[in-house]
Amino acid sequence: MDVLNKVREIITEIMDVDGGTITEETCLIRDLGAESIDLLELAVAVSHRFGVLVQDDEIFLRKFPLYRLEATQAGVDPLPYLTERIPFLPPNRIAEILAERDRAAALKIGDLVRYVRYQQGEHV
Amino acid sequence: MTARYSCKRGILVGGTCELALTLAGLLIRRDITPVLTYRNERGLRTIQETLAPPEDRYETRRLDFSDRNSLATLFDPDDPSFDFMVDFVQGDYEALLAAADDAAVASFFAENISFRAALLKRMARSMLRSRRGRLVYISSAAAENPAFGQGFYAASKLASEALYRTIGLEMGEKGLTTVILRPGYCDAGRGRSFLEKSGDSLKRIPIGRALMAQEIAEAVLFLLSDGAVGINGTVITMDGGLASGKGAMR
Repeated sequence: MDVLNKVREIITEIMDVDGGTITEETCLIRDLGAESIDLLELAVAVSHRFGVLVQDDEIFLRKFPLYRLEATQAGVDPLPYLTERIPFLPPNRIAEILAERDRAAALKIGDLVRYVRYQQGEHV
Repeated sequence: MTARYSCKRGILVGGTCELALTLAGLLIRRDITPVLTYRNERGLRTIQETLAPPEDRYETRRLDFSDRNSLATLFDPDDPSFDFMVDFVQGDYEALLAAADDAAVASFFAENISFRAALLKRMARSMLRSRRGRLVYISSAAAENPAFGQGFYAASKLASEALYRTIGLEMGEKGLTTVILRPGYCDAGRGRSFLEKSGDSLKRIPIGRALMAQEIAEAVLFLLSDGAVGINGTVITMDGGLASGKGAMR
């Protein structure tokens, strides 16, 4: 089973959602209404099912605002700065998140899939 | 009525104390496998000498609250998660607050509170995999009513109680529940040596005697039963009625 299908399976087990509607473009918080306790369970399940180390702050992009602030304070272009610090996301995806008004809610299923693939050794 | 138990295997943290060993015996009799933790070889020997063979009816693990590395070995990702945890661990540091050693206080809190928080975090994440887990914290009646010199002990007990309550609050919907038991004067472990020095204390207990290890272990056993799950995120005091009044001598 590929990574997306497995992530979809995990999410349907944890949350009361229809797996058929979940794509890489689905937003975990905005579209599916995931709460912090769901994210916690998701991180645990992803780590267990894929056998990869999951850092909650990394997979859920929690340090994104901090890195954004650091770039501003350092007076550097945020895109390359963030691309270096979030290596599992491609620059175009980071640019997309930068353009979001509510970045915390912008987390997509595809971001989780990319994180898992990165931890499995597939680099962007 | 007989209590029902769907748990099959759980961990007794601080497994070398008399209460834990008594509870382990009760669990084994119900075909529930206790995993007892010990800090050093002496503790391991205590477990082996106290619990009757066959040894395959219980397991042991090393866990030392002053050694962060010992946490890592407790959670093998290939092992099934524990169905429950009973936490008996409590370091000892008695001092008047205004006379306490700063470094000793810092390490006491690091071991008894910070380490416990790290253990609880990992245990909760592990139990989340099976969406089932019962966590029992053995606190003390002294958490609420400390004697002179027990201020740090009480502070660490109250902080630890808060950590357990938090798990019950935050994780209840995911199948993880907690309960805190506060035993009072007990004729076991440190309580026994205290009672030997100050036998008059017993006169203040409405039931007129200290609690036996067996009684406390049986109470914990009930708290691990399926029917006790609704007792979540709360504290139960088991002190023979001492805290119900002013503690006057009879």
